Amino acid sequence: MKLSLGSLYRPSRFPLLLKSYPISRSRRSFCVSSLSSPETSLKPQIPLFLRPPIYSTTLSDLRKWHDWAESLASSVGSTFEKSDNGPDSSLLCRELKWLLEDAVEDHTLVSQMGVENDRRVRMRAHVDELYNLWKQRIQERRPFQYVVGCEHWRDLVLSVQEGVLIPRPETERIVDFVSDVVSKDQELKRGVWADLGTGSGALGIGISRILGSEGRVIATDLSRVAIAVASYNVHRYGLKDIIEIREGSWFEPLKGLEGKLAGLVSNPPYIPSKDISGLQAEVGRHEPRVALDGGVDGMDALLHLCDGAALMLKPGGFFAFETNGEQHCRALVDYMENNKSGSFCNFEIIPDFAGIERFVTGFHGKAI
Amino acid sequence: MAHQILWKSSFVVRLGRFISSSSPSFFHLPLYSLSSSSCFLKVHPIPTLSSTTTRRRNNCIWFQQQQLHDRHSFLWCSKYSTTRACVDTEIEGLGKGYLELTDEELTRQCKMDTLKSSGPGGQHRNKRESAVRLKHLPTGIIAQASEDRSQHRNRASALTRLRALIALKVRNTVDLEAYSPPQELLQILPAKSSIRGSDCGPQIGPKNPKFLLGMQALLDLIFAVEGSISEAAKFLGLTTGALSRLILSDDSLRMAVNELRASKGMKPLK
Repeated sequence: MKLSLGSLYRPSRFPLLLKSYPISRSRRSFCVSSLSSPETSLKPQIPLFLRPPIYSTTLSDLRKWHDWAESLASSVGSTFEKSDNGPDSSLLCRELKWLLEDAVEDHTLVSQMGVENDRRVRMRAHVDELYNLWKQRIQERRPFQYVVGCEHWRDLVLSVQEGVLIPRPETERIVDFVSDVVSKDQELKRGVWADLGTGSGALGIGISRILGSEGRVIATDLSRVAIAVASYNVHRYGLKDIIEIREGSWFEPLKGLEGKLAGLVSNPPYIPSKDISGLQAEVGRHEPRVALDGGVDGMDALLHLCDGAALMLKPGGFFAFETNGEQHCRALVDYMENNKSGSFCNFEIIPDFAGIERFVTGFHGKAI
Repeated sequence: MAHQILWKSSFVVRLGRFISSSSPSFFHLPLYSLSSSSCFLKVHPIPTLSSTTTRRRNNCIWFQQQQLHDRHSFLWCSKYSTTRACVDTEIEGLGKGYLELTDEELTRQCKMDTLKSSGPGGQHRNKRESAVRLKHLPTGIIAQASEDRSQHRNRASALTRLRALIALKVRNTVDLEAYSPPQELLQILPAKSSIRGSDCGPQIGPKNPKFLLGMQALLDLIFAVEGSISEAAKFLGLTTGALSRLILSDDSLRMAVNELRASKGMKPLK
């Protein structure tokens, strides 16, 4: 299964996907044909914290593992940080604590690791697997979120796995923007929203919970793993009636909704291709390149989204895009002002919490 | 210029876009926590931010509080004497007292950022740095939270912490001649207080979020009587012992009172 998935993420395929509908269509037929193959039964992985506690170990064995894991983390020092701005020992030790929280059924027992040695604890993974998982974390730089199969994002705990971008804390803000906009405009709250390139479903789910039962969200992604994971997350939060996951490239699954969308959000791939090789190992080696690589200047997907937004949004409709930073934000606003003159208004460039200009938002329609 | 007059020398006002890498000193600010409430700040009026927020929000006003090491100084504000019109939404609710603001209103008065921010962030980064820092612009008080895996939840914890710090650090002036304890103070007093009417309901304890409002009013009074518990007790219809027990029931309240008493050369409450 992994092999065939790998072929889906061949980066060389990516720029083609953006360019035009015909290619997307041929891609769709590829997907349709693959529907009949055994891959259809693509099952998302269950995050560690949701697995049944069917294993058991003694506190002393758990402690042995913990001490080993801690010393491995400490041996890292600041080498990762120096080489690619990766995590240092203290961050890794914090992750170790979280791994324990997810793996041990009753983690209040963890504090007694040193005292009650013979006591058995129920575990969601075999202690041998914990050794493997931590080795992967340190030696292969496998992202912690893939190790435990989840990411805490806003007030959600979302399932993630290889093949799906791990949602970033920065992106949480887009949900706040939507919340602000719909609190001022009930009509937008009742409209159809789209989250393009939804990945784990984070934005789509966050927005669904803002819109409530009156709202409707369509979340799209071209990756079949993403579709499976996002569907799983939607199901887990009981949002099946509000959010619909559709497979396909960007706007392609939204045919028939031209001029009808109340809102459009996306955290598209925006890293310039030349920067991909220098990324932190957790990101560059393990996360799907298709979700990161935004083409030569990182703007391929963003420009495509702007073009589509002009077609798909209804008058007064709202958009919010995440970008690579100040340069992207400014280029995007320029593009929309000059190439789509009159289509959009009330642009805002909004910084993330680290102070980097990260988001572009605005409305469809004539300037007010 | 108005800022400099209002803010005295303990503030540096920086106008312009905040880029973390350009202000390394930001990370060296002393971090407040409930257990180390030893630094207060002496500023009289609450400054009014001038309305320079631009459409694209790429200029933000950034206040840096630099000399917080100064022991025994604290922040004074006159609750009801706001003379300037509130021209900026970021300072709405000035006349009401910060603790009476809703979470949303209080958040709007804050600048929020993450603790570390080297590099380009966003998709480039996977470091699980969910810690957040809230800086309450009108007072310069900073609250932070990092214990949770989600930034969102850390934000909520930081806001709760900010409320506690405001209660402890922001002093309102009290007119002792015409003093009558506000309702929220009466509510945290024990039932045996002779001035506490039955309409106050049951006593509100330190675990209730409403306790903060009463605690702030109590500290206002204790500061007005310069740390004398027996004096304060008279205003509240309590015995000195009963008021001491109330103060000792909450660690941060006890520490704030004892710090004031220490500065006046008085013995700490135990």
